[in-house]
Amino acid sequence: MNNKLQINKLFALSSENRQFSFSVPLKNKIRIGKRDYIVQLKSDEKYGLYILWKNRKYPVEIIRSRQNKYEILFNDISYTFTVETPFSMQRMKVLKSKKGKAEQESVKAPMPGKIIDVLVREGSNVLRGEAIVILEAMKMQNEILSPVNGRVIKVRVKPDSNVMKDDVLVEIKVE
Amino acid sequence: MKIQKILIANRGEIAIRIMKTAQMMKIRSVAIKTAVETNAMYLSFADEVFDNSEDISEIPVFLDIEKLISIAQKTGADAVHPGYGFLAENAYFAQKCIDNNLIFIGPSPDAIYKMGNKTIARKLALKSNIPMAMGSEGNIANEEEAVAIASKIGYPVIIKAASGGGGRGMRIVRKAEEMEKMFLLASKESEKAFNDPSVFLEKYIENPKHIEFQILGDTKGNVIHLGERECSIQRKHQKLLEEAPSVALDNKLRNKMGRMAVQIAKAVNYYSAGTVEFLLDSDRNFYFMEMNTRIQVEHSVTEIITGIDLIEQQIRIANGEALKFSQEDIKIKGWAIECRINAEDVQAGFAPDPGRIEYLSMPADPYVRVDTGVQAGSAIVSSYDSMIAKLIVSGRDRKEAIKNCKMALDKVWIKGTKTTLPFFRMLVRNQKFQDGTFTTAFIEKDLDKYYLNSEYEEMLAAWLATKLFVEENLQEKSINVDFENGKEMSPWLLNKRINQF
Repeated sequence: MNNKLQINKLFALSSENRQFSFSVPLKNKIRIGKRDYIVQLKSDEKYGLYILWKNRKYPVEIIRSRQNKYEILFNDISYTFTVETPFSMQRMKVLKSKKGKAEQESVKAPMPGKIIDVLVREGSNVLRGEAIVILEAMKMQNEILSPVNGRVIKVRVKPDSNVMKDDVLVEIKVE
Repeated sequence: MKIQKILIANRGEIAIRIMKTAQMMKIRSVAIKTAVETNAMYLSFADEVFDNSEDISEIPVFLDIEKLISIAQKTGADAVHPGYGFLAENAYFAQKCIDNNLIFIGPSPDAIYKMGNKTIARKLALKSNIPMAMGSEGNIANEEEAVAIASKIGYPVIIKAASGGGGRGMRIVRKAEEMEKMFLLASKESEKAFNDPSVFLEKYIENPKHIEFQILGDTKGNVIHLGERECSIQRKHQKLLEEAPSVALDNKLRNKMGRMAVQIAKAVNYYSAGTVEFLLDSDRNFYFMEMNTRIQVEHSVTEIITGIDLIEQQIRIANGEALKFSQEDIKIKGWAIECRINAEDVQAGFAPDPGRIEYLSMPADPYVRVDTGVQAGSAIVSSYDSMIAKLIVSGRDRKEAIKNCKMALDKVWIKGTKTTLPFFRMLVRNQKFQDGTFTTAFIEKDLDKYYLNSEYEEMLAAWLATKLFVEENLQEKSINVDFENGKEMSPWLLNKRINQF
């Protein structure tokens, strides 16, 4: 509670590591070049929540928020930001330099569907970009690719089984 | 008129599309209510609704031949329109309708069968002197035979399902070592999708354009074409944007390809609406690919440039009427572009994103036509395809159509699921798309990003995230509610306002 007064700046960090800084108290204005433009968050019955910017309405949806992490759908594109104070920003930088690389990768179902085929077995060596599972959803067959080079240590699905979004399909030890 | 009542053996936008024309022709229509979509929009367009929502069998009613025939009989329908997908290209279903004294609004079972079996279709095309990509004479038995044929015609080759369509059971093979795996995959996939594991082999034409011709034929033996559609903007053989006409064709080539399309249709005594698909390579050689014996999703762009209602023609032809126009009467005017707005997450490789549509608002400009089967409150269910709406935009020429499309896309407002809108917003601004030099490889090869990436938009989203953070964490009271143009900001936001520090 006490540190509130000391915050005069906030940073929104995108998942792709782009950084946007805003002064606090937050203004309803954004400066581009030498001009300030008004930005407004509004809502009505016909459109739901939207942002008004340069005379145009942009649809926004707040998909998720957990602590300081926000997933936002802006004009049908999703963005994930963590909002950091100058203090937490500093702490994060320190933590990041200490953290090692993940050694194991869980490949998850990107959508609900049915497993058509599993192309690897436990012990198989896989290359990054290699198809490991074929998942059918909404008439479409999707190849699920390995995100890493490594060795399959666990196969969690079988052909014909149904999976939900984010179910783990295969676990791979990164090599 | 013979047809007085049509059973619509389909759902969604195409059911509505058919019912609108039926209504205009003063024909009654019957729609089927299913358990997965009891409040679907298409039901409200029907004169009669047959309630099948108690039926919870695994097979959707739109694929259940016996059931559909019995519904037609119970409701007193004298004709059946299959729409697209489901049983639209099932020769047995067409025959069953005829056997039960129902008019099947589509081609003859014989034409469906012959064109549906790609091996027979290839033989027919060969006999009619239609140019084709080299390939196997008939189906291939095993991977050894596939390797032998492929080494003769040269890699890359494509394995296709004999009974296939819509991209399923297709595999491109670039070298002999891949053949075994790909052969088995294609064969397994087509067995699953079409109940027929047989596959054949064809030379794979690299980076072609997908050009298809709309055909209309009557039962008196007249067949004409209504010009072409370009459908090269596709991903994994699923079309995303179609336009008519195509920049790649001049009148000479158009007439030549159109004549070939008519010729192949005549080889099976084709009647009703149909589509002959070709691949066009960079040297303007064209190759027959397949004929689709149904009304297609993208039929609307042809309707706009020719002024002909294709569903009306299907119904008239099914009634035994002769075509009222000849090839010379067909005049192409203007340009039309169709964007398929699907519930898909472009940022996650076009993964389906089913869900409930919370808000939906479509542009109402004179140059826009919207064919849709959903409204605010509708659900996009995972048991069916992911289509939300077809945004069909016209202009006097291609340039104007693209300009209009750009404006229309910015007016589409859909909330509740992610959509393909960001993809189209990027596409209409893409140089290669504007030039018209794109091929079927465009999405996979020429794009490094599948959606419009605007710096300002990301910054505005960052501003919103920061605003939410400030309101949740740093402010004691006074929420920034804007009363000027609405009631309140968001109930979600109000509920979320807990002090986390």
